[in-house]
Amino acid sequence: MENVYKPELMEVVKVQQHTVDVKSVRIRFLNPAAAEEFSFHVGQFGMFSAFGAGESTFNICSSSTWKDFIEFCFRKTGKVTEVLWQIDEGDVIGFRGPYGNAYPTDKWEGKNLIFIGGGIAMPPIRCAIWYTLENREKYGDITIVYGARTVGDLVFVDELDEWAKHERVRVIQCVDPGGETPEWKGEIGLIPHVIERASIPADNSIALVIGPPIMIKYTLPVLDKMGLGKGDIYTSLENRMKCGIGKCGRCNCGPVYVCKEGPVFTLEQISQLPQDY
Amino acid sequence: MSEVITRKSLQDMVDAWIGQGRFAAGPVFVKPDVCMYAPLASGEQLALDGFIHPANSIKEFFFPRHEKIYTYRFKGHRLELDDSEPAKTPQLILGARPCDAASIAILDRVFNWDYKDKFYNLRREATTVVSLGCAGYDNNCFCTSVGLGPAAEKGSDAMLLPLGDGEFEIRCFTEKGKALFTGKTQTSSKEAKPISGPENRVDVELIVAQLEKNFEDPAWREIALRCLGCGACAYTCPTCHCFDIVDEGNAAGGARVKNWDSCQFPMFTMHASGHNPRSTQGQRQRQRIQHKFRIYPEKFGETLCTGCGNCTRNCPVELGVLNTLLSLREYALRNLNEVQS
Repeated sequence: MENVYKPELMEVVKVQQHTVDVKSVRIRFLNPAAAEEFSFHVGQFGMFSAFGAGESTFNICSSSTWKDFIEFCFRKTGKVTEVLWQIDEGDVIGFRGPYGNAYPTDKWEGKNLIFIGGGIAMPPIRCAIWYTLENREKYGDITIVYGARTVGDLVFVDELDEWAKHERVRVIQCVDPGGETPEWKGEIGLIPHVIERASIPADNSIALVIGPPIMIKYTLPVLDKMGLGKGDIYTSLENRMKCGIGKCGRCNCGPVYVCKEGPVFTLEQISQLPQDY
Repeated sequence: MSEVITRKSLQDMVDAWIGQGRFAAGPVFVKPDVCMYAPLASGEQLALDGFIHPANSIKEFFFPRHEKIYTYRFKGHRLELDDSEPAKTPQLILGARPCDAASIAILDRVFNWDYKDKFYNLRREATTVVSLGCAGYDNNCFCTSVGLGPAAEKGSDAMLLPLGDGEFEIRCFTEKGKALFTGKTQTSSKEAKPISGPENRVDVELIVAQLEKNFEDPAWREIALRCLGCGACAYTCPTCHCFDIVDEGNAAGGARVKNWDSCQFPMFTMHASGHNPRSTQGQRQRQRIQHKFRIYPEKFGETLCTGCGNCTRNCPVELGVLNTLLSLREYALRNLNEVQS
């Protein structure tokens, strides 16, 4: 019988530091058979191991169209991420997955996409952005609103510029008041206000909103005012997990196991869940 | 007519089982007044009367409180993983209360939906569970309220029913049970008189309706005021199965292990950001009851509670599932009265 808790060994190919405490890591399977067998879809997550410290849950922030490697991004904040922070090219870590549901990119076809991310929530949006850009003809206008507390807290900054070069893509960057630098050319303000000011057309659109609970709370009314329905607003929940496969019992939110039925939910689904996330 | 076995033959059977290098466990008085399910060194240790329910449950023989799931060894920049295998030694659990035996049939569901937990399943396949029908009950027992009873067959391969005078009627329900007792029993005219079990203590259907309707019940705050958050309820519960996965090792290598965990601990759901969806004891108590009576039944069609009463017996402040459910009903009725008056 297969050991469902045993990860695959992954070699670190590239480490990129984004902020004072955020890095993204590119890894590839050491076992060619596992690499061959592996597939996922954007929005899914994995359990990443730093042996000796433990396992943590991260979104797979690379696009599912990229074949030779996967990427994840983390903030140095606990036991596992302190160790992950030290890893370098050539080191070996563990990965199991993919787990959970994915973004319904089929359902999004033919629609305008509004991606809204706050701070460290860019990675789970980044995979969807790359996926939709690589299938550009299937999607309408793409608007990316990305904000952080300060300029120094923005992640994947180089890619933001790259995305803006694509056709029918609008990138709005913002930082909280006081977080700007003299060179800052983006918006200054909180994400909900910036969205209001940006007058983004909302017809035939879906929005993917990921960020701290407080940001989501104040962004939703703005999206509502813009005319987006509850079924058109998506988010990804971040409940703590240990097994990722519906056994260990901690990620549930009322009757829903976030690791199995989530992490991607529409606002409509979330509004039926108890306040347990 | 029934098949009957004497205490002496049972003890001999255990001795023979252990003599072949196999593992046996059952209720043992580890101290004069403390009975626990424990590994048996001889058949004589097996306690078959003089207790209502052991202080622990039999889940630890399927789902140990601490279990290696694999080991890792560092080799410079590289490392090696080695699969851990649970021992496949045949296990005999003799004298499990029917409420404990039932829990295994309930746990089968969560350890097998979609992903199969091989550690649980290999132990499960290697184990024969012989339950011991109850001759009595105490104030904490409420098996009859959750659809079980003092001679419920669920999860048992065979059942012993006390006949008095050191004799037990044997009822075999599965091939494993038959294989164990074939040739060891005598046919007799004696038949065990079933006891009726505790009276129905709480209407679970009403509770479920209340849990569904009123997630933000203010009663939780008050109920949980006296909860110490110690987790004794979860650790001695036959059906609580939440676990943690951690690494234990040093610079050379180590093991990844599954440890029992409890939803009553604040760290259980704490996010890396510091945000905690269940930051109060009331929310955590609610989660435990919601999981047992609503979430698990909705997902797996089984109530995650066998009414064994261990949570109440082991609780330092007399909470536990039964008292919590009774309090919930009391609050609901009080509110109803307030609305009416």
